[in-house]
Amino acid sequence: MKDILRILIAPLTWLAAFSAIYGLHGVLCASGISGQTLGISWVRLILMGAYILVILGQIALVAVLYHPKFASRSSFVRFVSQATGWVGLVAAIWSLAPVVMTSHCG
Amino acid sequence: MKALERHRKLTAIWASEPGFRGWFSTVNHTDLGRMFLTTAFFFFIVGGLLAMLIRAQLATPHSAFAGPEIYNQIFTMHGTIMMFLFAIPTFEGLAIYLLPKILGSRDLAFPRLTAYGYWCYVFGGSMLLVAMVLGIAPDGGWFMYPPLSGPIHSPGINTDFWLIGITFVEISAIAAAVEITVSVLKYRAPGMSLDKMPIFAWYALITALMILTGFPPLILGSVLLELERAFGLPFFQVDLGGDSLLWQHLFWLFGHPEVYIIFLPAAGVISTVLPVMCRTPLLGYGWVVAAAVSLAFLSFGLWVHHMFTTGIPHMGLAFFSAASTLVAVPTGIQIFAWIGTMWKGSPDLRLPMLHILGFFCTFVIGGLTGVMVAVVPFDWQAHDTAFITAHLHYVLFGGFVFPIFAGLYYWLPHFTGRQRFFRLGEFAFALIFVGFHVTFLAMHWVGLLGQRRRIPTYAPEDGWTTINLISSVGSFVLAIGIAMVLLDVILHGLTFYRGPRNPWNAGTLEWAMTTPAPAYNFASLPHVTGREPLHDDPDLPARLARGEGYLGTPKHDWRETLTVDIASGQPDMHVIYPGNTRLPIVMSAVTGLFFLSLLLKFYWTVPVAVAGVICLAWRWVWKQGRKDDLEPMSLGRGLKVANAAMSRRSPGWWGSAFLLTANATFFGSLLFGFAFLWTVAPGWPPPAWLTASPFELGAGLAGAVLSSGAMRHTMRTNRKGSKPVLGPILALAGALAIAFACAALMTRAPAPMEHAYGATLMVLGGYGLFHACLAALMVIFLIARVRGGYTSGGRQAEFSIVTLWVDYAAVIGVLILLVAHASGFSS
Repeated sequence: MKDILRILIAPLTWLAAFSAIYGLHGVLCASGISGQTLGISWVRLILMGAYILVILGQIALVAVLYHPKFASRSSFVRFVSQATGWVGLVAAIWSLAPVVMTSHCG
Repeated sequence: MKALERHRKLTAIWASEPGFRGWFSTVNHTDLGRMFLTTAFFFFIVGGLLAMLIRAQLATPHSAFAGPEIYNQIFTMHGTIMMFLFAIPTFEGLAIYLLPKILGSRDLAFPRLTAYGYWCYVFGGSMLLVAMVLGIAPDGGWFMYPPLSGPIHSPGINTDFWLIGITFVEISAIAAAVEITVSVLKYRAPGMSLDKMPIFAWYALITALMILTGFPPLILGSVLLELERAFGLPFFQVDLGGDSLLWQHLFWLFGHPEVYIIFLPAAGVISTVLPVMCRTPLLGYGWVVAAAVSLAFLSFGLWVHHMFTTGIPHMGLAFFSAASTLVAVPTGIQIFAWIGTMWKGSPDLRLPMLHILGFFCTFVIGGLTGVMVAVVPFDWQAHDTAFITAHLHYVLFGGFVFPIFAGLYYWLPHFTGRQRFFRLGEFAFALIFVGFHVTFLAMHWVGLLGQRRRIPTYAPEDGWTTINLISSVGSFVLAIGIAMVLLDVILHGLTFYRGPRNPWNAGTLEWAMTTPAPAYNFASLPHVTGREPLHDDPDLPARLARGEGYLGTPKHDWRETLTVDIASGQPDMHVIYPGNTRLPIVMSAVTGLFFLSLLLKFYWTVPVAVAGVICLAWRWVWKQGRKDDLEPMSLGRGLKVANAAMSRRSPGWWGSAFLLTANATFFGSLLFGFAFLWTVAPGWPPPAWLTASPFELGAGLAGAVLSSGAMRHTMRTNRKGSKPVLGPILALAGALAIAFACAALMTRAPAPMEHAYGATLMVLGGYGLFHACLAALMVIFLIARVRGGYTSGGRQAEFSIVTLWVDYAAVIGVLILLVAHASGFSS
C-alpha cells in the first residue's frame, strides 16, 4: 500500500490544497476583510502566503519522492511516483497562479 | 490428476446452477459480467431510442411530435440512462468479466457483493423505466438543478424517481468500485507486481477509486434534495438559508470526474487493444500510468467549470479555468503514447482498430472543443447551447462508445468462443462514424448560431431548420449503424463457427483459458514474470490446464484462490469463496423496498425494510467463517500461506477500508455543504443557533474514546488467546453514548424546517446516529461470534474489521459534535 500512496500522495496533496485555497478564497471574501500592506490587499496577501506554502509543500514532496530513504525500491513505482510528484508541483503552480494575477472577490 | 478430470472437478465446484435459476443465484464473475453488459446494452438501446425521439422532434420547426412535458421527460431520461444506466454499468460489467481473467485469478474479491450490485442496478434502473412507461419520468434535466427540481417548482413524483432511483443504482456503482479496487490490489496472479499489471487493470483501479470519491457528493446531494422535497428541510431554498448553488457544487463534484470515470476505462480498452492490433507493446507504459493517475486527480479540480455563468468571483473562475486547461496535458500524453505505439508497430486494420481510429478522430475534436469551453469568455457565449451538447457527445461517444465497440469486437471471441462469420461490423462502423459526425458537427454549428439546449421546438425564422434536419438525418444513420452492430453480435452468437483460443495473438492472461471461459477461469493459477505472460511463455495455457500452476488440485469442494502483496505480488493469503446463493438478489429486493417505500411515501414499510436488510446482512456475514483454525494452506509449487481468516488485513478489512473511503467523502461533502451555506448562502445567520450542551458533547467525546480504546483492548485480549468479554461491552457502551449525543443533537436542532442551519444539524446528527448504531450492531455481532466460537487467537480478521468501523463512528461522531456545538458556542 505504501507504493500506491507514493504514487497518489502528490496529486492528492494538490487536490486538497487546491480545494482549501478555493475555500479560503470564499471565506476571505465572505468575511469582508479589508486593508492593505505595501499596496497589496490583505486578502491577496493571505492567499499568496497560502500559495507559497502549497508550492513549498509540493517541492518538499518531490524531494521526498527522490530521496533514497523514502523512494520505492521498485524502479517502476519510483518513476511513476516521481512523475506524479512533478504533476502535483506543476498543477499547484499553474492552477493556483490566479491568486497573484486576477481580481479577487469580484 | 489429468486435465479433463481437473476440469470436471473444478466445474462441479465453481459452476452456477443450471438454467434460468442460475441467473438468480450466481455469484460467478463471468456470469455477472455478461449479465451486467447485456443489461447495460439494453439500456443503451433504450437511451438511443430516446435520442431518436429528440432528433425527430427537432428535425423540423414547430414540431408537434411531442409536447413540452413529454419532451422534458425524453431528454432527461436520455441523459440519465446513458450516464447512469449505460456508461458506468458497462465499465462495471467489463471490469467484472475481465479483471480476474486478466489478473490471473479465479474470481473477484467479494462475489456476493458483485451479485448484490447487479441486482441493485437492475431494480433501480427498472424503477426509472417504469416511471417512463407510466409517463411520470424525471423531467428536470439529467442534472436536476434546484430550484426547478425543488418541491415548489416540481411538486410531482417525477423528480423523486430520479433522486431515489439513481441513489439506488449508485449503490451498485459503489459496490462494484470496492470490489474492483480490492480485486486489483490483492487478487492477482503470484509474481504480478505493480509494474507487471496489465494496463487495463491500472485504468480499472484508478476509475474505481474515482467512483469511490466522486459518487458520494451526488449521493449526498440527492439525499438532501429528497429530504427537502419529502420533509421540507430547506437546503436549496434561498429564503430559508439554503442555496441552489450548493446543489451545483455537489452535482459537479461528481459530474466532472464522472466524465473521466467514463473515459478512463475506455482509455484502458484502447491501451489494451491498440498494442495487440499494432503487434507491439504499449509505448511508455509508466508514462501512461502516471498520466492516468494525474488525469484522475486533475479531474476533481474542474467541477466549477460547469458553473462559469453562476456569478462566481473572477479568481474562482480563473482557478478552474487554469485547472481545466491543465487536464489536456495528461490526456495528450496518453494520445501520444498511443500514436507512438502505432508508429512503432504495424497496425492491422481489423474491426477493433477501425473503432480505435474512430475514437482518435472524434475524441481529439471533443478534447479541443473542451479546451475552448475551458476559456471563460468563450464559455459565457456557448453555455447552455447546442454547442455544449455537441462537445459532450464528442467526448463521451468518442471517448467511450467507440473504444467500447473496439473492446466488444476484441473480446467477443472470448465471450462466445466463436469467430465472426458475417462481416456486418465493418459496414456498421462506417455508418456509425459518418452518422455521428454529421449529427454532432451540425449541432456545434447550430449551437454557435444560438440554439439553446433542451428547447422543445423553434421557429423557421431562427434559421436553424436545415442544420437541424441534417443533424437528425445523421442521427438516424448513426442509429442504423448501431442496430447493425447489434445484429452482427446476435448473428455471431447464433453462428457456430468455432474460433481459435487466442485469435489476436494477444499476450495477456485472459487468452490463456479455453473460450468461452470456464467458471473457474484457470485450472491452476499462473506465476507471472512479465506484462505479457503469453508472449513470454506460449506454452503457459497448456501448463496451467495440466495443473502446473498454483491451487491446481481441487480440495474439500472449496472455491479457492489466493491473494498477493500489493506491491511485490508475492502470495500472502489463501481465500475460500462462498458458493451460489440467492441472498444477494433477496437483499437487493429488500433494499429496493426501502427505496420504494420512500418514493411512494409508505413510511410504515421503511422500518420493515431496514430490519430486513439488517437481518439479511447478519446472515450474509454469519455464513462466512469457521469454528476451527486452518493450518497454513499449500498452494502448490512448494508454497504455503495462511488463510484470510487468520489475517488482520483480510479482504473484508480492505473492502471496509475502501467503503469507508467513499463514506468519508460523503461526510466531507456534508461538512463542505455546511461551510458553504454558512459562508455563501444569503439567508444567514439563522434566527436561532443551537444551544451548546457540554454534557451531550462530553458524553459523545467520552463515548468515542471509550469505544475505540475498548476495541483495541478487545483485540489484545483475543490475540493473547482469551475470549474478550469486557472490551466489546465497553465498546458497545461507547457507541451507544455517541448515538445518544447525536440523537440529542437531532432533537435539539433549532427549527430544521425553517432554516438550513437546523436542517444541516439534523442531517449531521442523523449521519452520526446511523454510524454509531451501525458500530453498536457490529460489536453485538462480534460478541455473538465470540460466544459462538467463531474467533480465536489466530482467527482475528473480524476484530480488525469491527475496529475499523467503530473507529470511523468515533471519529465522525467527534467531528459532528464539535462542529455542531462549536456553532452554538460561537453564536
